[in-house]
Amino acid sequence: MLNFQKSYKYYFDLVFQQSKAALRVEASRGYLGVLWWILEPIMYMFIFYMAFAHFFHRGSADYIMELLIGLVTWKWFVSTVVMGSNSLMANANLMNQVYLPKIIFPITTVVVNTFKFFIILILLLLFLQFSSKTISWTWTFLPVIISLQLILIMSLTCLFSAVMPFFPDFRIILENLMLMFFFISGVFVDISTFPLKLQKYLYINPMATLISMYRKILLHKELPGFQGLLYIFILSLILLSFSLVLFYKYDRIYPKISVR
Amino acid sequence: MNQQKSKILSLHNVGVFYRRAKGFFSHEKYWALTDISFNLYRGETLGIVGKNGVGKSTLLRLLAGIISPNTGQIIIHNKEIKISLISLQAGFLPSLTGRENTILSGMLLGETKKKMEYRMEDIITFSELGEFFEQPVSAYSTGMRARLGFSIAYHVEPDVILLDEVLGVGDEEFRIKSTEAMKKRIHSDKTVVLVSHSVPLLREVCNRLVWVEGGKSKAQGDVNTVLEQYFLSMKK
Repeated sequence: MLNFQKSYKYYFDLVFQQSKAALRVEASRGYLGVLWWILEPIMYMFIFYMAFAHFFHRGSADYIMELLIGLVTWKWFVSTVVMGSNSLMANANLMNQVYLPKIIFPITTVVVNTFKFFIILILLLLFLQFSSKTISWTWTFLPVIISLQLILIMSLTCLFSAVMPFFPDFRIILENLMLMFFFISGVFVDISTFPLKLQKYLYINPMATLISMYRKILLHKELPGFQGLLYIFILSLILLSFSLVLFYKYDRIYPKISVR
Repeated sequence: MNQQKSKILSLHNVGVFYRRAKGFFSHEKYWALTDISFNLYRGETLGIVGKNGVGKSTLLRLLAGIISPNTGQIIIHNKEIKISLISLQAGFLPSLTGRENTILSGMLLGETKKKMEYRMEDIITFSELGEFFEQPVSAYSTGMRARLGFSIAYHVEPDVILLDEVLGVGDEEFRIKSTEAMKKRIHSDKTVVLVSHSVPLLREVCNRLVWVEGGKSKAQGDVNTVLEQYFLSMKK
């Protein structure tokens, strides 16, 4: 094609710089700046905590832990996918000014949101530490499950962002779809208490599987099922390769169809 | 003319269309370019003339590899070559400082971070921003922003420079300085493609012209000959 092939290092640097810039922009907004990366999730968790612990009277310590784990990991997922799926459209101007491989845009969103997730994750783990749930050896599986969720998020974000310029209306559908998945991913209910027949179907949803895995290793000293791990990994790889095909095929078409 | 010189790229009957939404689920094709053919030779300055809306900017985006043609062919004879559209203030983020935007914008224009850091001092000097360089760009006046944008773009060095009406920017003094700098760059052995409405400028800096009309390359070649044809068509 027209531009020379640049090294991977250049693109790696570019994603890093873009992500850093995006975080700086966010931090410079409002008086509290960086503090919002902690305050906002705490507010979000507090609202759910109030709703479920007090209004629905499900305030047992164990339930609170389960709820928090569900909320934190779900938030990472949903905010990245929703924001990232819009990333090509959001950068329509830029991609008409310079040539860039389009995958840079969703990846940058993933990096930014993952960074913010890690801050919250550390808070969550500290919180678990100081409550009755102390570290157990099953926590060593945490990096595996986090990596798996990262791949899943990456694949869905890339796929949706690659499709969105062709169907801008999909954004509204996606937001509502995410709300539906929020209810069936077991964020505030434990799916493992459901009838087995129903569980089978619910665990087709990779986020339901992931959330139950987080709870297993962090709270119940249990190991994640190998089948579930493999399922999510393969599913993500398929989605990711499909989005790579789209990005490759429409690389120089996206600037033409994106609204300027 | 320099026909012996090596070709950098060739366009053969190139056409580009955009899709315009026409209503529910239907689109209509809007052809920005229909039939463009010319060669670009190493070291020359090629001017592109034509009225507003004949697809000159689309043509530059095509040459920069930002978009692909729908019909026809673009052949790049040397794949190693770096062709960049000089976009002023590309990717600027107002809440970042001049220094941060310099790295970011420079990288988007195709330079490595290292090179931008290496050229930082030159860019600071050229932009004449002084202490403002460390301030967020949101605190800049329009003129200052233009100065920063130009200074960054000027210190990025692709093999082929594509210019869309941007020779000089800013206040009178900086405009003269930046125009002179850009002219010097054009006169060097760089390959340049320049879109402009300014006839004196085209006469001054271009070796060859391509006249684009209605999405087609109507004429090309010697500057005066092409301009004559162009003016003749306007009188009709």
